[in-house]
Amino acid sequence: MTASRFRRSEWEARIADLKFTLYFLRKNSLVISGLIMASFFIILALIANYIIDPSLAYEFDISRKLIWNNPIINFGTSSTISYTNEIFLLGTDIYGRDLLKMIILAIPLDMYVAFIITVGAAIFGVLLGAIAGYAGGKIDEILLRITDIFLAFPGIVLALVFAAMFGRTIENVMLAVLLVWWPPYVRLMRAQVLSEKEKLYVEALKALGASPFRILFKHILPNSIYPILVQMTLDYGGVILTFSALMFLGFSPSPALPELGNLASQGYFHIFDAPWLLIFPGLVIVVIALAFNLVGDGLRDALDPRLRR
Amino acid sequence: MAHHISKKEVILEIKNLKVNFTTYRGIVKALNHVNLKLYAHEVLGLVGESGCGKSVTALTIVNLLPENAQVVDGQIIFKGEDLLKKSKEELRFIRASEIASIFQDPMTFLNPVLTIGEQLKEVFMLNKEALKQAIVKKKVLKRKLSYSDFLSLKKEANDVPIDNINVSKKDIKEIVKDLCIEVLKIVKLPDPERILHQYPFELSGGMRQRCMIAMALARRPSILLADEITTALDVTIQAQILHLIKELRDIIDASILLITHDIAVAAEVADRIAVMYAGDVVEVASSIDIFKNTLHPYTKMLMKSIPIIGKLTEKLEFIPGTVPDLVNPPSGCRFHPRCPYAKEKCKTDTPEIKEVAKDHEVACHLY
Amino acid sequence: MKLYEYIIRRIILMFFVLLGVSIIVFYLCRGFPTAFAPWTPYIHGKMTAEQIQEVIKSHGFDKPLYIQYFYWLKDILSGEWGYTGTWAQHLPANRVFFDRFPYTVELAIAATILTVIIGIPLGIISAIKSNKLPDHISRIIALTGYSTPSYWFGFVLQLVFFFYFSRWGLPYLPSSGAVSSHLIGRVPTITGIPILDGVLACDLEYAWDAFLHLILPSFTLSFISLGFLARIVRASMLEVLRQDYIIMARSKGLKERIVIYKHALRNAMIPAVTLTGMFFASLLGGAMISEYVFAWPGVGQAAVQAVFQGDSNFLLLYSLVLAGVIVIANLIVDILYTFLDPRIKY
Repeated sequence: MTASRFRRSEWEARIADLKFTLYFLRKNSLVISGLIMASFFIILALIANYIIDPSLAYEFDISRKLIWNNPIINFGTSSTISYTNEIFLLGTDIYGRDLLKMIILAIPLDMYVAFIITVGAAIFGVLLGAIAGYAGGKIDEILLRITDIFLAFPGIVLALVFAAMFGRTIENVMLAVLLVWWPPYVRLMRAQVLSEKEKLYVEALKALGASPFRILFKHILPNSIYPILVQMTLDYGGVILTFSALMFLGFSPSPALPELGNLASQGYFHIFDAPWLLIFPGLVIVVIALAFNLVGDGLRDALDPRLRR
Repeated sequence: MAHHISKKEVILEIKNLKVNFTTYRGIVKALNHVNLKLYAHEVLGLVGESGCGKSVTALTIVNLLPENAQVVDGQIIFKGEDLLKKSKEELRFIRASEIASIFQDPMTFLNPVLTIGEQLKEVFMLNKEALKQAIVKKKVLKRKLSYSDFLSLKKEANDVPIDNINVSKKDIKEIVKDLCIEVLKIVKLPDPERILHQYPFELSGGMRQRCMIAMALARRPSILLADEITTALDVTIQAQILHLIKELRDIIDASILLITHDIAVAAEVADRIAVMYAGDVVEVASSIDIFKNTLHPYTKMLMKSIPIIGKLTEKLEFIPGTVPDLVNPPSGCRFHPRCPYAKEKCKTDTPEIKEVAKDHEVACHLY
Repeated sequence: MKLYEYIIRRIILMFFVLLGVSIIVFYLCRGFPTAFAPWTPYIHGKMTAEQIQEVIKSHGFDKPLYIQYFYWLKDILSGEWGYTGTWAQHLPANRVFFDRFPYTVELAIAATILTVIIGIPLGIISAIKSNKLPDHISRIIALTGYSTPSYWFGFVLQLVFFFYFSRWGLPYLPSSGAVSSHLIGRVPTITGIPILDGVLACDLEYAWDAFLHLILPSFTLSFISLGFLARIVRASMLEVLRQDYIIMARSKGLKERIVIYKHALRNAMIPAVTLTGMFFASLLGGAMISEYVFAWPGVGQAAVQAVFQGDSNFLLLYSLVLAGVIVIANLIVDILYTFLDPRIKY
């Protein structure tokens, strides 16, 4: 009886909190534009495979390779002679595929992969951080040291090494990237748990006889979820960048895979005669990452307890 | 304790001050129409509960309100000019040489990464003219300057010729150091030389508060705004600081506006006491009269709710109701929901403050 | 505890971290079934099967992994880091590393200076004029930088400033390498850092050439991080500006300039200093992708090749140096803290 009454007022407090947060967000026009862009890409990712036939990715036509006939932009390179009557808005790549279509196909892949990695890293990191923070003592020390070791490397290096060792499949590269992104969550969650642990309601719950798991996951976790969500949104862009960078460097299982970094890697060899190959896939990455970073940054400002009134 | 009040010069007058704050919950009407006069050489206690607007009043005088505040109406007349109409730069100048403020919590109001000496020196360095005069005077007197010498310089300023004097950086450094030590001595800090090199966290609460007072004195102000300066200290230190203030009022030329929520503290030091409630000044009288002849219902209840040690009482008196929400303040007289004498008129008309007895003003429809 | 006790404690801790790192990397490089044969750097095509077996035996490659680890530990303690593969002409790993390291250092210093010069003022302006136009602009710049893949940005810069500028007849910037090929070796290698060597040898043409080569890669690196630094500076400035001692400073009648730069900045700089320190340290590991894109002869570029070739010797040296650098940078930053914030004592 008392437990459910307690929970209800907890929720009321959370809803009031949420309303306050939304007030802050509404005032921030950059966040709104970020949200619009992010939603656009999410929708695009969801419908991409339906508006463009995925098998187009494997239809090569060498006769149409490296064409640029978009009348609006002129790159001033030699491959601008048009062999067909078809206008390729973003040109064709070295396999003769329409770059625009390839990019659209690549978006769901990148976004989905980044989503899995971010969520996976968050779950893993949060678990470790919760245990470290709550258990304290030796367990805490050990977990912290391990995290420090991982943090001692710049992400790309570690991801590179992992990816090279695991082998060139998408899943392996995903694992490699995940292994690089979990440490921040450990720190975050641990800090949250440490500060919540001292609060009175935890004492009360312990006095009521709640088990540590219940305390951690039913009570502390929901109260700490905000910074974790913010971190996830901010990390999302970074994960896309890291993943596509690895693909760019050559960890893609197949050179024809429609993935933004992979598409850009073709551009590496044709940088001066077919610059569009590099520019447009990269540009799409920038916009997607920017959208999520705008949202995450705005969220972080809105939720920062020190900046709220 | 209290000095006899005679018709003296008004050094600061606040007329019908109205200040609002824009917040998430709405517009907070913090100051309704504040009317206050500060006379020269007096200590005026400004008393009221938390949230009644005392600090806001002080901050408004020196233009230190946060960004979401707007001064909607009113005038603050200082030396014949309306401060509210002055530019930011002019007000900065006034803060540097005329109106000094001391605040509540010396731990948070002192910069933790700078030494006391640093924070004190920069105050002196604001007024290079005064420093030059001090150097000249020192050469004339052939001894180190005392604080009273420095004070009197303010009056004799025009007599000391500085136009053709070249002072070296070394001279300035020296005189600043001398003055820092002098001003620290005035606030009764032991071993001033050492304190100059210390950081705020190395000192005790009382010592930090004295340093803040020293920083105010360094500016030779005509008005000292002391905002809850004893609130963050324990009772014994409180007594020491109040004692210091009492001594200071004889040494320096300034008027002191002592803001506190504790009427007993005000009674200790102040000549006159002004009582504020929810953004209005409701009663002003000498500190004797306000106890002997309390007029405003709020003040009466305030007096009754102070437990007197040693006197047996049945139960603790308190004022019924709660402090009003300033986003939707009560209409008319803001005290009417809690006032036992409230009439119909009190709900509709805001009472003006007026003099009902000699040197005793009240804002209430009862009078 | 005293400062030197603290330092000693940290250094001991560092050894444990390095040990941990070496174990992880060792297992990764030599333990995975998909890993390249670890004896590859030691053999070349002309060897017979027996000779290959010889090599394997003499370096203990046929023994279990943990024994290999001890072999390796023994080797490195006597300064023997092994040889690199074909990709680096089979030179000793430490020679390859330390030949290239100064180039990475040059790039790291240049990128850090750029980041600090642009990032910190950007953050300060954002904080002072928060939620107004300058803040929005700086936020967009910051977040765009943060969202940009370095390989893309590097190439775009090359495209514009090298390719198109030369096409359009404008003075253009070199797109790859640290020094123009016709100038290599013209100046004695004292520090290994091209600009410094050029200046020390009073060869201004060389130094200028090195400088030009430095522009695009360092700008690429800094563009991506200066946004992050600006946001951190903004956040901590905003928090500091709300503090009571800022009200006190203003109430003293101090000029706004002094309030901001003397009172606020001193307190707000602390996180920015940490960040800059860590940024510099991570750059010392070689910004792999930027070095790759600009063909910059630093350790990062070498590491990329080493990874693809499975060269465990080089990778082990590389990761250990990198981890060590970062841990030391951490320590230096923490010590710096005590000078910046007198309240902190260890």
